[in-house]
Amino acid sequence: MKMTPMLLFLGGLSVFWAAVLTMVFMPVAMMRSSPSDIWRPMTAEEKEGLKLFVGNGCSYCHTQFIRNLDWGLGAERISQNGDYHDIEPAIMGTERTGPDLAQEGGEHPYDWHLAHFTNPRHTSPVSVMPSWEFLGEENIGKLTAYVQFAGMKNADYRVARQKYWKEVSRAAYAQGVDRNIEWLHSHVPETWRMMPNPYAATQAGLERGKKMFQQFCIGCHGPIGDGTGPAAPYLNPRPLNFTVLRRHLVEERYIGGILYFQIMNGVTGTAMPYFKRALESEKIWDLANYVAVSFMGYTDAGIGPKGIDAAYEPAWENNFEPPDKLGFSHGKGVGRQPTGPDASGQDGR
Amino acid sequence: MTALYDKNQRATLAFLLAGAVWFVVGTLYGLASAIDLVAPETFNNIPWLVFGRARAVHTNTVIFGFSANILIGCGLYYAHTLLKPRQWPVKLVWGAFILWNLAVLSGPFTFSFGISQGREYAEYIWLADVSIMLSMLLITAILAVAVRSREEETLYVSVWYFVGTFLWMLGVYSIGNVMWRPETGAMPGMVDSVLLWFYGHNLVGLLVTPLAVGLAYYVIPRVTQTKLYSYTLSQIGFWTLVLFYTHIGSHHILQTPIPNWLKVASVAHSGAMAIPVLTVLVNLWVTARGAGGRLLRDPAGRLVLAGTIWYLVTSVQGVVQSFPSVQRVTHLGNFNIGHAHIAVLGFGGYIALGGLWHILPYVARRRLWSRRLVNLQFGLVTLGLTGFLAVLTIAGLIQGQAWQNGEVVYRVLPEIFPYMALRAAFGLSIIAGAIIGLVNVWMTLRRGEPFDPAVEPRGLLP
Repeated sequence: MKMTPMLLFLGGLSVFWAAVLTMVFMPVAMMRSSPSDIWRPMTAEEKEGLKLFVGNGCSYCHTQFIRNLDWGLGAERISQNGDYHDIEPAIMGTERTGPDLAQEGGEHPYDWHLAHFTNPRHTSPVSVMPSWEFLGEENIGKLTAYVQFAGMKNADYRVARQKYWKEVSRAAYAQGVDRNIEWLHSHVPETWRMMPNPYAATQAGLERGKKMFQQFCIGCHGPIGDGTGPAAPYLNPRPLNFTVLRRHLVEERYIGGILYFQIMNGVTGTAMPYFKRALESEKIWDLANYVAVSFMGYTDAGIGPKGIDAAYEPAWENNFEPPDKLGFSHGKGVGRQPTGPDASGQDGR
Repeated sequence: MTALYDKNQRATLAFLLAGAVWFVVGTLYGLASAIDLVAPETFNNIPWLVFGRARAVHTNTVIFGFSANILIGCGLYYAHTLLKPRQWPVKLVWGAFILWNLAVLSGPFTFSFGISQGREYAEYIWLADVSIMLSMLLITAILAVAVRSREEETLYVSVWYFVGTFLWMLGVYSIGNVMWRPETGAMPGMVDSVLLWFYGHNLVGLLVTPLAVGLAYYVIPRVTQTKLYSYTLSQIGFWTLVLFYTHIGSHHILQTPIPNWLKVASVAHSGAMAIPVLTVLVNLWVTARGAGGRLLRDPAGRLVLAGTIWYLVTSVQGVVQSFPSVQRVTHLGNFNIGHAHIAVLGFGGYIALGGLWHILPYVARRRLWSRRLVNLQFGLVTLGLTGFLAVLTIAGLIQGQAWQNGEVVYRVLPEIFPYMALRAAFGLSIIAGAIIGLVNVWMTLRRGEPFDPAVEPRGLLP
């Protein structure tokens, strides 16, 4: 077969357009989508947000579809054709440098997003997302509206829950530090409130907890745990000052279970996110010990009730004296590093 | 000095020069993007350097500005020498050059301000789309005139690919950019992804690939001074390329809710891509048999040969990556970024650079200013790109495996940090190569020793 101009021209075009017919025109004709169960139209503000999302290349790091093989964020809902009905453009994305956003709406309240868009390191210290402060607060508001839309009716449900608890948590915060902590504690189930931290607060464990604190918590709660991290000015209610927890021990002894539960579940309505998807249990317990030892000078690690020590656990004794109701420790415990076998490296028992 | 230039080839030279400039610009934006992913506070609140904006400038500038400019410039040169046309509408070539490069120039001047259509590789705004379409129409017209008025009866393989590129890309570009909806450049709903990835993959498959393969078909036999091995293999490679490549775009969206038949068709054709790739490579490599030394000693030949090797690597990767079971791990992570770099820079870019160094002396009628700088460029880009492939592949596998094991994105980010830092470092090597290349092009035009190509014919091809 000799290549003539006619063969090249007609052959090249007919093969090409035959492929276009199958791979483009047929899907366009067949993929008529109807709205899915969670679909709802976008508001004008959300559309503005989508424009900003598209124009600023957010989709290069954030996918907007959840796969049946996804384990993490948002996997409760596998994305369906009808979820994208009438969205223009519905950019799926090819990279997940940041989290998928298909079901992001209502994961966080508005004030968290303001702090996050202003500088993502404020709320998520390991994030590599750029700061979008230069867009101005109005545009950040539009972007937030779009992000809160993601997930549509499912998101609306979550956003409404955030709003409800936002009001309640603000009211509690307004009542002062101690009433606020009582309110926070009251939402921890009874069984958790009197649960001591089952992990020894060894030096290694505290180091692990510190790493978690630096990667996830420091932006809001600050390096000394007093709730004055760089995100704090954007948040209402403000992040918790851990040092005041000293005078709110349950039965003057327990705090580990409360810390664990609050870290795991977050406090919906406030900027405190849940970490039950990001961190598994040992990391949360180590973090709870780090927060307790570093900012309260006390931890209930390893006190009763407890079972048989796990096989790997070193001999470690909790030498912390709990502070009294006013937060004083009568010269005992505070500042005292755990001594004994673990610190000396010898088995003292 | 200007008298030395071939009048017919001045606009061609403009394509080559622009390509060398965009290589530097595009890779610098790549560096900014790489730094954004390592130290995001570096360009804090500098709007035009945030990742989402700089990345779009990087990708579009290296594809349309660097690879395509040089490949089109080389194509115009060989189309002219291979067809020996009686008519060569130089003004149309200038028109095509200006329209094409205005579109590339629009990148930094729109994306930097957050004005972008946002769909990957289809970001150019509607006006730039029109500019690119007109440019391709002009090139099609130039080729039609040249083919009709040719003195050489036989159409050489390179010409098939060069003509085919524009026949196909006119369709690919207008459909993929949804140009009938100028506002968003997108269709509403999920189906938009089908159009986008038909376009996205064919940007590599029907723009970069045929241009690069056509150029390799031109440079290799000339450098080795051997006859092309097989006409039949050329035919098979050409027709299977357009047959299979056009069907595989949807393998980019296998994990999204598109119809299953579309997924099956795209994966099946992805596997079939082995045929055009291997026939072309066998044809080229067997053509060079016994003359490999000549290819390796020639700075331009070496780049083209290395480009064909990258073609093999990227194609094997591409075929394997299209399998759904493999995608479970590789998709959405940096593995794909590694793949994309060896496709556009390794395959398309190496052959473009090889073509540039091979053809520039004939177009400029000056010998290369420095062959050693070409070799240095080869070394720097090869170091950078090989490192890229290694670290991005590792980072991608870490991401994919971690996600499969239930880790969230935030937990994985610190794990890939070292690889992102290494990627930025390897990027410096590529940028150094780009800058050295631009210096060499410039110095060749200014200081290269003049010579008359007509009295020094080279190779068996016309």
